[in-house]
Amino acid sequence: MASLILEIATRGLHRYQGLEKPVTTVGRALDNDVILSDPTVAPYHARIVRHDDGRIEIVNLAEVNPTRVGGKRIDALLTAELPIELEIGRVQLQVLDRDQPVAATRPLAGNGRRSHLFGHAYWAILLVLACLALGGLEFYQSAYNSFRWSDLLKYVMRETMLSLGALILSLAILERLLVHRWEIRQLVTAVALTFLLYHATGWLADTLDYLFSANWPGTLLYFGWYLLAVPCAIALYLIHISHLRQGRGILLAILIASPIAVPGLLQSPRLHALLDDFSSSARYHNQLSAMNLHFAPRVSIETFIDEAKHLDAGQFAN
Amino acid sequence: MLNRETGKKSSIGSGFVVGDGRQVATNYHVIGQVILEPDEFYISYLGKDGREGEMKLLGLDVAHDLALLGVEEPLGEPMKTSPLPPRGAPIFAMGNPLDLGLTIAVGTNGGILNQTDDSRILFSGSLNPGMSGGPTFNEQGEVIGINVATARNSISFIVPSRFLTELVERAATADFDGSEDLRKEVARQVLAYENRYFQQLLAADWPGLDLRQFTLPGIISPTVRCWDNSARLSTAARYRRLQIRCGNQNHIYLDEENKFVGNLVYEYYWLESDALNPTQFYNLYEYLNKDQIDSKLDRDIVSNFSCGTWFVDIATQEFKTNLCRREYVEYPGMSDVLFTAAMTGYKDRGLFITLTATGVDYEASLPLIQKFLEQVQWRP
Repeated sequence: MASLILEIATRGLHRYQGLEKPVTTVGRALDNDVILSDPTVAPYHARIVRHDDGRIEIVNLAEVNPTRVGGKRIDALLTAELPIELEIGRVQLQVLDRDQPVAATRPLAGNGRRSHLFGHAYWAILLVLACLALGGLEFYQSAYNSFRWSDLLKYVMRETMLSLGALILSLAILERLLVHRWEIRQLVTAVALTFLLYHATGWLADTLDYLFSANWPGTLLYFGWYLLAVPCAIALYLIHISHLRQGRGILLAILIASPIAVPGLLQSPRLHALLDDFSSSARYHNQLSAMNLHFAPRVSIETFIDEAKHLDAGQFAN
Repeated sequence: MLNRETGKKSSIGSGFVVGDGRQVATNYHVIGQVILEPDEFYISYLGKDGREGEMKLLGLDVAHDLALLGVEEPLGEPMKTSPLPPRGAPIFAMGNPLDLGLTIAVGTNGGILNQTDDSRILFSGSLNPGMSGGPTFNEQGEVIGINVATARNSISFIVPSRFLTELVERAATADFDGSEDLRKEVARQVLAYENRYFQQLLAADWPGLDLRQFTLPGIISPTVRCWDNSARLSTAARYRRLQIRCGNQNHIYLDEENKFVGNLVYEYYWLESDALNPTQFYNLYEYLNKDQIDSKLDRDIVSNFSCGTWFVDIATQEFKTNLCRREYVEYPGMSDVLFTAAMTGYKDRGLFITLTATGVDYEASLPLIQKFLEQVQWRP
């Protein structure tokens, strides 16, 4: 006779209990073989009976929240097919064959290797330092008035450090709730990497906008960043670093990304420009660049005036 | 002006009898609302003898803020008009300020403000709300102008009577069709005035104005004044910013909502620094390159701006230019035009030019912009 085991899905690691006896009782009462301390489970909820011919019988004992097998309510069910998926109250259980093969081992991200971005605290520290340097550079490049190192330090501490820290802390708490582990090192690496990529994308958007003398490249990148890059990055992290199952990882990624992306997108001037919302000020292409790389040719005043004759009239808002 | 539904006054102004005695002169802005919304309002008069009656519109001169109204019965002796007395001569403005009754404000003739078509007389008396449209007399009791506006503190403005004489003559020869959409007529008059103004500008020689390495269009018309507008920078600033703002004083009253059009404003910003690196300099330069049009009009009044971008060779230098236009919903053919140009190609200096014109024909503004750019000179 096959050796059977009962898997009880719980948050974190699942519980397992061998089904050695011919009859196993499941319920909330403390004299059951398998005790499920969930308020939706009846004191005596179900009985799992092993017949001599190898078949298994599931018997429902509960009046409230009767037992479900494969999603269907049952009074009693006799089957030889494994696994059997049970719902007792809101607890998910499976009757499994102990000989059933398990999925291949997933390697720990980086596994402590220095060469791997998520493998060593060394990378986390390096990336955070890069973020702080970037914050400092931003401050330096907007210092039109006198520049002081103490101001730069204050700015980096107050702006870059604080925003990075707040983001890491809130995501770490979220991660602790979701996967029941602290993964600070990987999280710091991921957040710092995202911060750097965000700034690189912004720089690229500005450069492309100037290059094309248009807003569409930047708008495309901006929406791509929030609607595609951020959810994908979170999903990849959850699946490959936190080792969540794929479906769950994608769902959670969308849930986590929404509060980050939606308010920013709704208030973005780029969205207003895209929807052509009414504005009493002109949305003209005011960008200037020291590099001055642009595809549009340099034209004479006459050409400019000739082409300006064909400028569309303003569209009335309805 | 009375509301048809309540029969009560919604606003008051003054007026006086001209022409054949059945015509009354006043300001366009006094009766603007009624002629644009004839279903809601009507104009009535109250004569010296207590007679009351409705008045109809005979003619308009929007650019000079004049309107001519007609009545069935002669109201009295028309007033005699006369040219302006010498500067400093006493003149007398009559009207009904704040509905308190007929009064006379005494002041002196400050002379014609400038040599252009929309000449106004500067008057040292106090004009108050309700006196608009009333006559201004010389010492002989002849009408020399029409009260029109005030800048407070006894700085007031009078429209010379010659524009009224022209309006009366026009009304006598051409039959004014009061039934068509008057906004179209208002737009037509504003655009005709602006086109004439632009023609004058195009025909004139423009004196230059020096700003660092550039000679730029300066006081291109007597209507224009230029001011140094350089902001006081922090002592820690590592750059210099020079700013000159030129503009005309033309304010054409359009209606209660749109207020005024006819403004032509051009500004120059010179930015230079030997302390900032190129990225720092361009961050600042871009920050200053902002929308300069300051009329906060609503979507019921104007369209969105439509803009285009060009890189234009102006006086051998490359400029990134933007040209934008927006249209007035109720005034066909009338646009606001915004032009900006920022010099590119230098890491440590920049010139930023803006030019805005409100209530103009877009096509007619292009030759002006062309001449404006052709006048720019660069000194290496």
